[in-house]
Amino acid sequence: MQQQQKEKKLKFFINDDIDILIEILKRLDGRSLCVAACVCRLWRTLARNDSLWEELCFRHVSSPPPSSVRPVVLALGGYKRLYMVCLRPVLSRLGLAELTSHRVKRTWTRDELQLSLSLFCVHYYERLGAAAAAGDTDRSLGECDASTSSLMFLCKPVNV
Amino acid sequence: MKREHSQLDPPPPPPSCLAGPSGKGKMWEEEQTDGGGMDELLAVLGYNVRSSDMVEVAQKIEQLEEAMGAFQADGINHLATDTVHYDPSNLCTWLESMLTEFNPTMPAGLGLDPVPAPSVFDDSSFVAPAESSTITSLDFSHQRVLEEPSTSDYDLKAIPGKAMYGANNSQNSSNNYLSLSSASASSLSSSTTTRENKRLKTSEFYPPESTRPIVLADSQENGIRLVHALMACAEAVQQNNLTLAEAFVKQIRFLAVSQAGAMGKVATHFAEALARRIYGLYPQSPIDHSFSELLEMQFYETCPYLKFAHFTANQAILEAFDGKRRVHVIDFSMNQGMQWPALMQALALRPGGPPAFRLTGIGPPAADNTDQLQQVGWKLAQLAESIHVEFEYRGFVANSLADLDASMLEIKPSEVDSVAVNSVFELHKLLAQPGAIDKVLSVVKNIKPDIFTVAEQEANHNGPVFLDRFTESLHYYSTMFDSLEGSVNSPENHKAMTEAYMGNQICNVVACEGADRVERHETLAQWRTRFSSAGFIPAHIGSNAYKQASMLLALFAGGDGYKVEENNGCLTLGWYTRPLIATSAWKLAAKR
Repeated sequence: MQQQQKEKKLKFFINDDIDILIEILKRLDGRSLCVAACVCRLWRTLARNDSLWEELCFRHVSSPPPSSVRPVVLALGGYKRLYMVCLRPVLSRLGLAELTSHRVKRTWTRDELQLSLSLFCVHYYERLGAAAAAGDTDRSLGECDASTSSLMFLCKPVNV
Repeated sequence: MKREHSQLDPPPPPPSCLAGPSGKGKMWEEEQTDGGGMDELLAVLGYNVRSSDMVEVAQKIEQLEEAMGAFQADGINHLATDTVHYDPSNLCTWLESMLTEFNPTMPAGLGLDPVPAPSVFDDSSFVAPAESSTITSLDFSHQRVLEEPSTSDYDLKAIPGKAMYGANNSQNSSNNYLSLSSASASSLSSSTTTRENKRLKTSEFYPPESTRPIVLADSQENGIRLVHALMACAEAVQQNNLTLAEAFVKQIRFLAVSQAGAMGKVATHFAEALARRIYGLYPQSPIDHSFSELLEMQFYETCPYLKFAHFTANQAILEAFDGKRRVHVIDFSMNQGMQWPALMQALALRPGGPPAFRLTGIGPPAADNTDQLQQVGWKLAQLAESIHVEFEYRGFVANSLADLDASMLEIKPSEVDSVAVNSVFELHKLLAQPGAIDKVLSVVKNIKPDIFTVAEQEANHNGPVFLDRFTESLHYYSTMFDSLEGSVNSPENHKAMTEAYMGNQICNVVACEGADRVERHETLAQWRTRFSSAGFIPAHIGSNAYKQASMLLALFAGGDGYKVEENNGCLTLGWYTRPLIATSAWKLAAKR
């Protein structure tokens, strides 16, 4: 009897249904997504998918962003980096942070998005400078953990 | 250290000054004394003091107590163990030996009348503290004669008018110096340099009734004193009374150390600038340009002023470039090119796609002959490639903007290129050379830009009278330093570099004259007059810029103090009520 019960319990395993898992992860907020990335290897791989973070970035924008935004953001380092380095601190500073406990979420406008993108671009430019200074221009910028300090006034960038 | 009040009540002066430092008396054996003039009551306790000496002993004990009071507790421990006393029962000589321990320069006779000996200055040690390592020989041709027997540095009664020190205060402040200088142990660190300690002469300035030394703990009062000292010093410089000014500079340094926070830092910088002016030490060895660029980068990172200027100028340029397919920006203030990534990104994302973007950067020659401008251009090109913006770059090295000509810049006709000219904190430097600003403005007119964006410090540091300049810059930089104090996020070394950046500006405003004084800031109203008479009309910076700037400032920690204001189409950034930076945009009158 106990064995049958155990088998029943083990029948459903979320990792077997990646599509459902992705749908769930898409709806998480930033912090939960980071936590999810620490669960297991599969989840970590999925959480690194930039489109999840893109969803997160634009979830509460009042109007959807133009299609030209994506290539620019990807070129500057991707949506995850945009979120971690610029969007999250900007939103929290401006009092627009998502409150997981409450359902009330303010929408934020194109202006905040524009500002974040500008800051993100400056950040990228500084990383370029740091990479050049390090003399190692072949290294991909993603690995460059230089002290890019123009965004210091926001927060210390965290590598997730 | 408390006085032990004894119950003894002998006729002559204060018997309360008995066993001096705590515990010593008990170490000594009681001695039989004979009657030979010795005070009997003290003799009971083992002290041999002649009745006739009682007055002197009392006074010496008072001085000793005072001198010891000036020490911190751990400074006098050595006295308990290291000093050698001969015949400790003889209070007179013992007290003298103790006092000479404290004050080796004091003459043995302890003349209690102030005999002002001629003040001889140790000239070689008279250096500005921060520069002592680099200056070996000083030109003292401007040096006043310092050997005047009747005046000492601290005779502040000589100050007429606005000086805030009355006779009492001068006495007290001289006591301060005395108690400082009498510290043979350097446990007292309140004076700024030990050099200063050595320079102070103590022997001749020991007043008979010494009051307690004033401990500089009341910082609010000292803050007021500091400001007054600064103003008095500037006035002395204005009147060319350099001896007096020197005295004030020392005073300022002393007071500045006791002030924590922005006021102390500002005062230290101003004191150094004043010292430079007095001793004619400017121009110092030319500042390495790459170092000054590094300082400017730290300034960019720690406070929002440069970012504000960049963002607002970019917004104005973006709006002027609306709908144009090819654009050309001429930047008078290239430096590290921090302004342009944001503009390129905004151009990349504008509806209709990015235009072809051409950038001409103008900057001074680099000291180490490397092509800084080209490196900056290369970085920008990389960025442009990443975000798919067609990019072209040209760097121009020029010692001064006035050396430029419109023809050098390869301006294409306006049907092809839409041109913008940008200048951040560069135009005021041209005011140092006569005619330069007019030449540059005429060059800009020849370029025929669609927009000319200018960001400048909002202050009048270019008045003809030194005292006015000094007052204005004191207020301005105090506000700047105040705003910097609020920014808690930056690490200390970054803040220090930002402060050094501003300190350089302060030195230039206060200490230099003529062609060297390049920090000739002028107010927005003054620039408006200048531009209008040169044929420009204002282009109003729109509300988008205002919104962006406000949002940007809200992001800064301690950002409650920053205020963006609109001033007739120009945007100013200030700290509380004081505007500090102003951005304005201009177009040619003919182009409508």
